[in-house]
Amino acid sequence: MSEPLIRLENIVKRFGNFTALGGVSMEVHPGEVHALLGDNGAGKSTLIKVLAGVHQPTSGAIHVDGQPVVFRNPLAASDAGIGTVYQDLALNPLTSVTRNFFMGREITKGTRPFGILQTAEMNRITREEMARIGINIADPEQAVGTMSGGQKQTLAIARAIFFGARVLILDEPTSALGQKQQLEVLKTIKQVRSRGDIAIILITHNEVHAQLVADRYTFLSLGQVIGSGVAEDLGGEDIRRLMAGGAQMADLEEELAAIH
Amino acid sequence: MASTTENGAGSVGAGHQSEADRLKEAGWFSRLVHRPEIGAFSGMVVLLVLLALAAGDVVYNPLGIKNNLAIIAQLGIIATGACMLMIAGEFDLSIGSMIGFAGMSMAVMLKWGLPFGLGPASPLAAFLITLCITLAIGWLIGTIVVRTRLSSFIVSLSFLFILRGATEVCFRTFNGSTQVSGLPDYKQTDFFAALFGGETFQWFYDVLFWLGLNFNRAGGQWVTGFDAKVAWWLVIAGAAWFVLSRTQVGNWIYATGGNEEAARANGVPTDKVKVSLFMFTAFCATIFAATQVFDTNTADAAKGNLKELEAIAASVVGGVILSGGFGSIIGVVFGAVIFGLVQNSVFYISWIDGSYYRTFLGTVLLVAALSNETIRKRFTGGI
Ligand SMILES: Nc1ncnc2c1ncn2[C@@H]1O[C@H](COP(=O)(O)OP(=O)(O)OP(=O)(O)O)[C@@H](O)[C@H]1O
Ligand SMILES: [Mg+2]
Repeated sequence: MSEPLIRLENIVKRFGNFTALGGVSMEVHPGEVHALLGDNGAGKSTLIKVLAGVHQPTSGAIHVDGQPVVFRNPLAASDAGIGTVYQDLALNPLTSVTRNFFMGREITKGTRPFGILQTAEMNRITREEMARIGINIADPEQAVGTMSGGQKQTLAIARAIFFGARVLILDEPTSALGQKQQLEVLKTIKQVRSRGDIAIILITHNEVHAQLVADRYTFLSLGQVIGSGVAEDLGGEDIRRLMAGGAQMADLEEELAAIH
Repeated sequence: MASTTENGAGSVGAGHQSEADRLKEAGWFSRLVHRPEIGAFSGMVVLLVLLALAAGDVVYNPLGIKNNLAIIAQLGIIATGACMLMIAGEFDLSIGSMIGFAGMSMAVMLKWGLPFGLGPASPLAAFLITLCITLAIGWLIGTIVVRTRLSSFIVSLSFLFILRGATEVCFRTFNGSTQVSGLPDYKQTDFFAALFGGETFQWFYDVLFWLGLNFNRAGGQWVTGFDAKVAWWLVIAGAAWFVLSRTQVGNWIYATGGNEEAARANGVPTDKVKVSLFMFTAFCATIFAATQVFDTNTADAAKGNLKELEAIAASVVGGVILSGGFGSIIGVVFGAVIFGLVQNSVFYISWIDGSYYRTFLGTVLLVAALSNETIRKRFTGGI
């Protein structure tokens, strides 16, 4: 088995008196999709925000390539190769695909920050990189607001990879999409996985989606890991039970049936 | 039914279509029509034609052009600053008071000498010292906005009052009355003062004179040149256009206004962008004041009143969206032309009461805001 790209060790995150994460450990491997699952409020988003440098952990350690690291801010994390695709995708709907692709990292000639944008080159790269993960865009100058939800996801993913992400964090990438676009995003995820050098952390509430792409699972509940394992060892029943926070799904189903 | 089969066949065919095929390659004409400036541009053309019909020669004779452009340029200078800041998602309501403050600062120094008894002030010294003060105030406003996360509407509104008050107090303290008049005509003797208060593009009126279109009653040349503020407007708007559309900071400005969180997550220094733009509006207000002081050799405490709202209105007429992230300098150039023309020219139309001009302006503003909203919806998919 490959070396873990990232190892989280006993991560604790408290907001005041509230313990959002109570000692979470997990490993992420290149070329794998790691599904991070759990009920609402389990701490999934908090965990990836710690990983992305948005929050500093109260205690615990992050190792990248076996080396302990501290991310003081999102920039430090992205410099270390951690690319986060947030729920809102961090896009500016009113400007072009290219301007979004290169937001904050524009290709320019001349001194920062007044360097002249190399628009033709940036357009070419945008088109190529989008095509590499399966979306052909006709006009890189079109406004992002006019793209479909799936295309926007792809744009955010392509951008993260192009700028050196070795770990791609996807927080509920399919939640706001229609059926066809959900599958499109899953296809993109598989496409990225097949490169073999990139690790993907996928947060989703959809067990079917998780089963379609995940190699490895971690289940969170109330800030604790309540289960983890590789895809071959977990049945659909286990996944469903652990996703719901370990509560007996059967009980819940009975309760549901009792309500009319 | 036959039509059902046809529909069925059609949907199978659609399966082979890629997303890219759905966007037709747009021709140059359709690209032109979809540019964000097109609304302001058509509005301007319509207005120019209507004015030619209704007021005619008074607007388009050599003096009319000069006077109109002077008003337009003044407005254009501060509208450029307001537009950049609005694209970054913030407002500056202190522009008008900043104009009054800067004018006071320059005039008082010119009349009573440099601070701390450092001797008489040259136009250059008065301008530079004033600029340092106004840039510092712009920096302060911007810093308060980004540090406290208070709405820039409130912060700059506070400075609208603070600066107007400070202007009056300084006038009374250093000058005794709230106005300075009868300064020497520096633009005749001082190169730097002439840069602001003198004339520019004289060749235009020389050519008109040669063509026989620019005579006064005595048969000599009538108008000799445009006000220097026209050149300042073109330079400031040109630089702003270049920065906004062609450079890295330009993209940062759009990103900051379009989705600030996103911009920050992607490493755009959004706070620096905003603070710099508050300083830029202060800069524009100072240039405005300098062109006024060195042109008329006067200053008073009421100068610049309501100019901040006119600057914002001209930006909106030029296609800038109030919530930020969208707009163009070229549009705002057209917006300033529209706004300045209406302001100045309605008075020339004999059969309309000139006082209607504000009613016109309000209507134009409302129409522009509605059409901007349509554009925004087209880009954001209707939210
Ligand atoms: N900045 C914060 N300050 C205080 N509490 C927070 C903060 N961020 C998150 N929390 C709390 O931490 C807990 C975990 O939140 P988190 O967003 O990580 O859940 P999640 O697993 O992503 O849930 P969901 O599936 O609904 O997105 C929640 O109870 C939340 O209220
Ligand atoms: Mg979440």
